[in-house]
Amino acid sequence: MRSESGMRIEKALKAGFRITAAAVFALCAAQMALAASPPALPVPATENLAELSLEQLGDILVTTVSKREERLLAANAAIFVISAEDIRRSGATTLPEVLRLAPNLDVARADTNTYAISSRGFNTLTANNLLVLIDGRSVYSILFSGVFWEAQQVMLEDVERIEVISGPSTTLWGANAVNGVINVITRSARDTQGLLLAGGGGGRESGGAVRYGGEAAGAHYRVYGRYQDMNNATRQDGPQIRDGAHTVQTGFRADWGALQNGVTVQGDYYQSMIDQVPLARDTSGMNLLARWQHELDNGSRLRLQSYFDRAERDLPTQYHDRIDTWDVELQHALAPRGAHTFIWGGGNRLSRDAFTAGPALSFNPAGRTLRLSNIFAQDSIALPDNFEVTLGAKIEHNSYTGAEFMPNARLTWRPSNGVTMWTALSRALRTPSRLDRDYSTVTLVGNPNYESEVTRVVEAGFRSQATPAFSYTVTVFRNLHDRLRSFEPGTLHLVFDNKIEGTSSGAGIWGNYQAARNWRLTGGAAWQHLSLERKPGSMDPGFGITSAGNDPSHWASLRSLWDITSQHEFDFTVRHVGARPNPAVPAYTAVDMRLGWRISRALEMSLTLRNASEAEHTEWGVATNRAIFERNAFVKLVWRP
Amino acid sequence: MIADKMTAMLRRPMRAWAAGAGTLLFATLCATLSIPAAGQGERSLERGVKAAFLYKFAGYVEWPAGALPAADAPIVIAVAQEAALADELERIVPGRRIDNHPIVVRRLREGDSLAGIQILFIGAGDRGRTASLVRAAQPHPLLVVTEIDNGLALGSGINFVLHEGRVRFEASPEAVERSGLKLSSRLLSVASNARMGTAQ
Repeated sequence: MRSESGMRIEKALKAGFRITAAAVFALCAAQMALAASPPALPVPATENLAELSLEQLGDILVTTVSKREERLLAANAAIFVISAEDIRRSGATTLPEVLRLAPNLDVARADTNTYAISSRGFNTLTANNLLVLIDGRSVYSILFSGVFWEAQQVMLEDVERIEVISGPSTTLWGANAVNGVINVITRSARDTQGLLLAGGGGGRESGGAVRYGGEAAGAHYRVYGRYQDMNNATRQDGPQIRDGAHTVQTGFRADWGALQNGVTVQGDYYQSMIDQVPLARDTSGMNLLARWQHELDNGSRLRLQSYFDRAERDLPTQYHDRIDTWDVELQHALAPRGAHTFIWGGGNRLSRDAFTAGPALSFNPAGRTLRLSNIFAQDSIALPDNFEVTLGAKIEHNSYTGAEFMPNARLTWRPSNGVTMWTALSRALRTPSRLDRDYSTVTLVGNPNYESEVTRVVEAGFRSQATPAFSYTVTVFRNLHDRLRSFEPGTLHLVFDNKIEGTSSGAGIWGNYQAARNWRLTGGAAWQHLSLERKPGSMDPGFGITSAGNDPSHWASLRSLWDITSQHEFDFTVRHVGARPNPAVPAYTAVDMRLGWRISRALEMSLTLRNASEAEHTEWGVATNRAIFERNAFVKLVWRP
Repeated sequence: MIADKMTAMLRRPMRAWAAGAGTLLFATLCATLSIPAAGQGERSLERGVKAAFLYKFAGYVEWPAGALPAADAPIVIAVAQEAALADELERIVPGRRIDNHPIVVRRLREGDSLAGIQILFIGAGDRGRTASLVRAAQPHPLLVVTEIDNGLALGSGINFVLHEGRVRFEASPEAVERSGLKLSSRLLSVASNARMGTAQ
C-alpha cells in the first residue's frame, strides 16, 4: 500500500513538473518573442503633452509597474496582490467573490453565503489552514480555526489591496497560516475623503453603501454604512434553498499623522440574518482596533497594535456562540545594519467563548478561555552576488499544546533588476481548535490529547518583469504532512486523532501583460495533488482522508481589462475549475463580463453579467441538493460628488 | 532488497525535484537574457509627463514683483540631478510662451548659482543632496519641485508622486508663500493633497 502510494506521489510529481516545465518553457519563448518586438507601450510625443490640462496629465498611465509592484517583484514568497482597481473592475460585491481574482486561491461557493476557500489544497467549508486578516485583525474562529465567510464583509470601495500569500507564513503570522495568509488592507482615512454613494441591484442581490470622510481633531476620518440583500439560491433539482440573507454593517476609521508615523483607530459593527431550515441564523459582531506606528531616529520602526473583537452566532435549535478576543502585538523592524535586516516581535491573544449547546451539538467544556502568546525573530542577511538568506523562527504558546516551534529558512537570489528567485524550507503547524479538543456530539467527539498538525514545506519560486509590459510568477511546492485529523472508532463514538499523514505538491503560475496602453491581460493557473494515508495503528474507516479536502487537481483563469475610451471599459474573465472528487462536483468554466461607463468625473455606472457563458453551474456539495449558480446581471452606480 | 526499494523510493522524488530545479534554472537563464530593456520606454514617458507638468506649472504661479524684470523676460526652468528631464523640457518649450514670457531650460550643475531661476526641478537622487538644494533655494523667489518620498517635508513647494501608475503632485502653499510666491487655486485644486475647503 505504501509503495503504491509512493508510486502515485512520484507519478503526480513527475506530471506536475512536466506541466511546470512546459509552462515555463512556453513563457520563456513568449518572453523572448516579446523582448524582440518593439515596446508594447506607445509613447506619445512630449511636445503634445504640453497641450493637455493638469487633470489630463494626471490621468496618463506612465507605468505598468507601480512602486508597490516593484516591491512586489522583489518579494520572495508566492504572493499575489489584488489591487483596488482589480476589485472595482471585477464587479464583485462580497469579499469571497473578490478572492476569486487571486489565481493562488481555490474559491468554491456552496450556497448564497457559504464558501470553501483554500490555497494549496485541503479545501472544505471548514478549511482550517488559511489565516485571514482584515487590517491586521485575525478573523478565524477558534471554534474550528477557520473563517465564517458570511460574517466577513468589508466596504469594498475602501479596500486598498488584498495580499494573498500561498505557502506557510507561520514565522510572521503564527500557527494556522500553514497554507497561506489573506491580508485585507483598507485605505487610510486620508485617502477616502469626501462623500461616496454606491448602490446596485440585480437578479440575485441588491445593496447600497454610503461613506463620508472628513477632518476633525487633527485626524482624517471616515464613517461608512452598507447593507446587502441576497436572494435565495436554487437547488439543482429545482426548489429554492432557504439561504437568502440580509446584512447591515457600519464602521469608522481615523488616522492621525503619516502612515509610517501615526495612529490609526478603527472599528466595525455588523449584523446579518441568514435564512436556513428550520430557522434563520443570526450572526453579529463588532471590533475596535488601535495601531501606533513610529519611526525612530535610528531608522528602525515600531508597530504596536491592539484590538478587541466580538463574534456571535445564533443558530436557533442548534447552538449559540459568542467569542470575545483581546489581542495585543508589537513588532520592531530594525534599520538595516551592515548585511543584516532584523525584525522581531511578540504578541498575546486571549479568546473567551461561551457556547450554549443545542440538543445535537455541544462543546465540553461549554466555554473556554484560550491564551496564545508568541515571540518571533527574523534576520535577512545580504550575501555577495545579490543572494540573501532569511532565517526566522516563532515560538508560540497555546493553551492546548504548550510551546510550539515554527522555523523558516529562505534563500533568495535577485540576479538582476526585476528578477527574483527563492527557495524555502518551513515547519508549519496547525494548533488544535475547540473542535479538535472539545467537540461533543452523539456520533463524534473531540480528543483531549489532540496534538498540533505538522507540515514540513519545501517551496521554490521565480518572479520576473520580463519586459516592461509583461511580468510573471512561477511557484512550486511540496508538503509533508503529519498528524492530520483522523476519526478513530471509540467505544461509543468516533474520536478525533492525529493519525493521518501524507504529502501534497503542486505548482502555481500567474502573469500580467499590458498588451496595449488601454488593454491589460492577466491570467493564472494552479495544479495540485494530495496523497494522504492512515498512519500505522489507525482504525479510521476513511473519514479522515475524505473529509480532509475536496480539491480540484487544477484551476485557471484569464482576465481581460480593456479601456475602450477614457469613459468606457469592457472587462471579462474566463475561469475554469477542475472536477472535485468527493462528493463529485463536475468541472466548470464560467465567463463574467463587465461594462463600465464613467458618465462624469463623479458618476460611474457598471453592468456586470455573471456566468454569461452557461445557464448554470455548481461549485460545491452533493448532487441534486446543492446550489446552482445561474446567469445573472447586476447594475451598479457609484457617485463621488 | 528492502533497502534497495527504500533507496529507490527516496531517489525518485529527488529526481523530480532535480527536474524542478533544472526548470527554474532554465527560467532564470531566459529571464536574464531578456531583462535589461525593462522599463526604458516607460521611464521616458514619466519624464515627459513631468516635463509637461513643469511647463504648465509656470502658468499657475505668481512671482513677486522683480522676480521677472520685464514683461517678456524669460521664465527659467532649471533642472538638477536629472539631465534626461531637461531633454524632454527642451522638446516642449520651443515657440511656447506663458503670459508673453518665453521659457528657457537651464541644466543646473553642482555649485551653479540659483539667481535668475523661476522654477527649480530637483530630480530624485540622493536625499541628502536634495535636502541641501531645497534649503539653498529657500531664500530665492523660485518654485521648488521635487520627486522624492515626503518631498514636502523637506520644504519643497510641489512634489511629484506616482499613484497607481500615474504622475500626480502634492503642493505646499505655505512653503511656496515663504519664498514670496503664490500658487493659483486652480493648481491647488488639482494637487493630490488638496483638502476640501482650503483649495477653493
